[in-house]
Amino acid sequence: MSVHILGIRHHGPGSARNVKAFLEELQPDIVLIEGPPEADSLLQWAGHDDLRPPVAILAYQPDSPQKACFYPFAAFSPEWQAMLYAKTHRIHARFMDLPLAHVFGMENEAAAKRAAGAQRDETQKEDETQSTTPDGETPPAELNNSTEEFTAAELDMEFLPRSPQDPVAHLAHAAGYDDGERWWEHMFEYRLGQEQVFEAVHDAMHALREELPRRYDRKEALREAWMRKCIRQAEKEMFQRIAVICGAWHAPALQTMPKQKDDNDRLKGLPKTKVECTWIPWTYSRLSYESGYGAGIPSPGWYEHIWEHPADDGTRWMALVAKLFREQQQDTSVAHVMEAVRLANALAALRHYPRPGLEELNEATLSVLCNGESILMQLIRDELIVRNRIGKVPTEVPTPPLQTDITRWQKKLRLPQTADFKDYTLDLRKDTDLERSIFLHRLQLLEIHWGKRFEVSGKGTFKEQWRLQWDPAFSIDIIEKGSWGNTVAEAATSFVINTANNTGTLQQVCKMLESAIPAELPAIVEVLIHRINNLAAASGDVLQLMEVIPSLVNISRYGNVRKTDAALVNNITESMIGRICISLPAACTAVADDAALPLLDLFFAMNDAINLVQDNELTGSWQETLLIISGNPQSAPMIAGYASRLLFDAKIMTGETLVKAFSVSMSVANPPALAAAWLEGFLRGSGTLLLLDEELWSMVHNWVSQLENDIFIQVLPLLRRTFSNFTAPERKKLGDKVKHGGNGTSIKATTTGDIDYERGARGIPVVMQLLGFKDAKLLPDGA
Amino acid sequence: MSDILRYHAEQLYAQELEELKKDDPGKRPQNWLLTPQSVVTYLIGGKLKNGFEVTPKYIGSKRLMEIAVATLATDRALLLYGLPGTAKSWVSEHLAAAISGDSTLIIQGTAGTSEESVRYGWNYARLLAEGPTRNALVETPVMRAMQEGKIARIEELTRIGADVQDTLITILSEKTLPIPELNTEVQATKGFNIIATANNRDKGVNELSSALKRRFNTVILPVPDSMEEEIDIVRRRVESFEKTMELPAEKPAIEEIRRIVTIFRELRNGVTLDGKTKLKSPGGTLSTAEAISVVNNGLTLAAWFGDGTLNAADLAAGIIGAVVKDPVQDKLVWQEYLETVVKTREEWKDVYRACRDLA
Repeated sequence: MSVHILGIRHHGPGSARNVKAFLEELQPDIVLIEGPPEADSLLQWAGHDDLRPPVAILAYQPDSPQKACFYPFAAFSPEWQAMLYAKTHRIHARFMDLPLAHVFGMENEAAAKRAAGAQRDETQKEDETQSTTPDGETPPAELNNSTEEFTAAELDMEFLPRSPQDPVAHLAHAAGYDDGERWWEHMFEYRLGQEQVFEAVHDAMHALREELPRRYDRKEALREAWMRKCIRQAEKEMFQRIAVICGAWHAPALQTMPKQKDDNDRLKGLPKTKVECTWIPWTYSRLSYESGYGAGIPSPGWYEHIWEHPADDGTRWMALVAKLFREQQQDTSVAHVMEAVRLANALAALRHYPRPGLEELNEATLSVLCNGESILMQLIRDELIVRNRIGKVPTEVPTPPLQTDITRWQKKLRLPQTADFKDYTLDLRKDTDLERSIFLHRLQLLEIHWGKRFEVSGKGTFKEQWRLQWDPAFSIDIIEKGSWGNTVAEAATSFVINTANNTGTLQQVCKMLESAIPAELPAIVEVLIHRINNLAAASGDVLQLMEVIPSLVNISRYGNVRKTDAALVNNITESMIGRICISLPAACTAVADDAALPLLDLFFAMNDAINLVQDNELTGSWQETLLIISGNPQSAPMIAGYASRLLFDAKIMTGETLVKAFSVSMSVANPPALAAAWLEGFLRGSGTLLLLDEELWSMVHNWVSQLENDIFIQVLPLLRRTFSNFTAPERKKLGDKVKHGGNGTSIKATTTGDIDYERGARGIPVVMQLLGFKDAKLLPDGA
Repeated sequence: MSDILRYHAEQLYAQELEELKKDDPGKRPQNWLLTPQSVVTYLIGGKLKNGFEVTPKYIGSKRLMEIAVATLATDRALLLYGLPGTAKSWVSEHLAAAISGDSTLIIQGTAGTSEESVRYGWNYARLLAEGPTRNALVETPVMRAMQEGKIARIEELTRIGADVQDTLITILSEKTLPIPELNTEVQATKGFNIIATANNRDKGVNELSSALKRRFNTVILPVPDSMEEEIDIVRRRVESFEKTMELPAEKPAIEEIRRIVTIFRELRNGVTLDGKTKLKSPGGTLSTAEAISVVNNGLTLAAWFGDGTLNAADLAAGIIGAVVKDPVQDKLVWQEYLETVVKTREEWKDVYRACRDLA
């Protein structure tokens, strides 16, 4: 009976190669791998055609899925190679780390203790270093994937703590390297021969563990005790050749076995909780540091490269770089590649390395291919060094029901998960695209932000632009949202209803309504409208109401493109507009200038919305409101001016009334600032309009020309202030217009006399076709 | 003490080079005085096995120097690129001194640099008397470097006209210099290479043709990363200046150097060191080299006209001269800086007063 401890570095391609070679030589009958025993049943999937790394084991606490932990594996992870070996040689494989049931249990206990302690004594200093969200403290709706949670989870995966206390750094310094990482790479990962590597690793780590003063870490001790327990268990089961794959740091602790009783005592009475595991796809960018992720590796793409081509002297890598550059229209010749490889090798020789590592290759690329400019290096980093790649998980792997449903939809709608973003333009008139849009909107409602919606260019409300990019962390969101229902529709419905009933602001609920309608969940829409109605009734803030009106009107006006019944929305829009009309005049009094500006924007949007509704009654009451505002001397002048303008546009206030209103507001008795504000409101954004609208023009023109000389001089600064808001070309044209007698271009009357109706009618079918009516015969004859 | 104003690197650091050579067991590229490792040590500084201390010549990233040396070892030419005053010429001089023991094979690139000064010229008296013979040929530094297997240096490569620049292509790729007049050629001996420098600030320079660019590995020398690094550079260079100028003044106080470097860094980066206040940047580059010359200037003033100690008044004129390159724009920038930043610093009162008096 023999036990072989293989100390490795997680995601180390050299380690993976060594493990593979070692296992093939040793032919063990059982492999013990550092990892959570709860995931033992998942090991059977290793080697499955559809389980393609990078993948991760996701372990979570079913009653609070945010308490989760990932164990990622790439093709070049030693653990992955060990799993594959076990699978292909049909031998036993087991995970042997401290069960997560206990880890989570301990964390929960600590959190509970802390919460209790905090209640007892607010000022008491907390000794606990673990940072986990105590269960039940935050309602599920508020949960999100805090990165803190990730790092806390990832601490389990550590093997060589980085940071100043990185023990390997001591060895690296002794060897004359300035970085532990680089030393390890050159010592172990780039090595081609594997003579006695594991013994060397063991000796090195042993020396470190002996020499370095260390703080006693209970969790660490427990983990190692459990690993030893697993080894003993395997021995007891009479396995002959036991291979143990663990982080290098743990190797010495597993080699020398302390008394069995000590370990057992230590492991006695640990708290427990329920843990479930599943395989999820993972990405390289998640494997790297870039995601702000504790124990990542800096260069997954590069590791994959040296895993696949261990003997590459840089030629193959440089060829990849050159290919990438050429794709980006950067001229890169073969000579460039040759020179870069030579420089990299010269650098390696200068630094006494047997062959160039990533540093040397990067420096050579920078110097030869990029002419010293580091901008292109970012491209290499993204495309080659990290290389965004996503793994794949077979559909048969048992997953939570919501996940299954999502996968089913993804398959059905042909929306694959990708690590890089992909853009989709959906034509809502097509069934598949409509379904896709519905599906994506539902995910949005569930706060799974896989897709991002963009404004579509071009006309038409039947198009939607989406950008999809999958993030493995969505798996947690999905599990978490699983508590709301087993299908996307179900979960979205109950989740949104719950959120809506718990959030107070009208805007939020309206936003939800906006996304709920395209998600085609009528149950939600009803609840939300009800909720909006209640909130609107209770809201005293007319501005808040005004803010939501445009989006509601949009829904009721364009909702029918999506075949949604918009009548429901119509009702509340009407009642809300009524409410606004009643309280708006009061809201427009005593408003400071800077507060008036945003209000003007609201007026603008509101007016647009009203025009869009095309409901005479509503338009009427809106115009009445405007009249009140413009007539009320207490209204903020800028708003009053703007209201008058809107009335003028609607041809309600014309001729004498308008001139009167105009001169009253602009009379000299008014304080200049107020008059200026009024005019500013009145002429807001209408430089071009002033040029083209003869009536508006003549009114301003007449008013200016009838001013007395000294009064003109007094109001001149005010006019200047208003006109300075117009663009320079507009001002120039206005000036020209004044110069040429003030009449400007007169509109040419179009003659309607000699139209040839017959010829005109012949063109109509084509026009109808252009407008989308396929069957021109539907038209009445001779139209 | 001889009366040479400035010695070449290989003369000034002859002892260091000698010690490095003694302590150099590795394999040397042909015609190199030192192994590549030792060249890097010579530039970056360090302690030799026999306890001899090599002073650092370039303070900054060791990796950059390694790339530079490795480039020369692969017989690719080296292009040092960067802002004015980032030690390009300094590095090239020391590289040439350490590799060939000779930093004198130099061509200063100007708009008027002609093909004759890059390849070869003719001694017209001889040409008329003897006809085209080898004796009538005037060798250029490049030609000599090729024959002797040494490093030739070309300063400000981008100032040379494009047509003249391109004469380097044959030299760099075929390593030969044809002399059609004599129906012969000069073939480069091993060890020959070219270090060119160019700065990326000047406008109207002649961009290298891509054919020529391809023959160069580019190393961009950055402005110093940290405050401490920059102070270190200024202090070392000023001390060596004192030695050569035999100034009677006291050693420059590190405090004064720190203040100058602070002013230069703040103005260069357009933000105060604490990152709180945004500043306008003047038109000049405000490189480390200029900081060095300001301190040198101040030292000279203090030594010959002052009390021998470097103080704010001695430095003020130099600082203003370095910052205010444009009499209108930069002056405003400087005054703004003076009033908003310098004035508020309690311990900078003397600097403020000195600068105010001058302005």
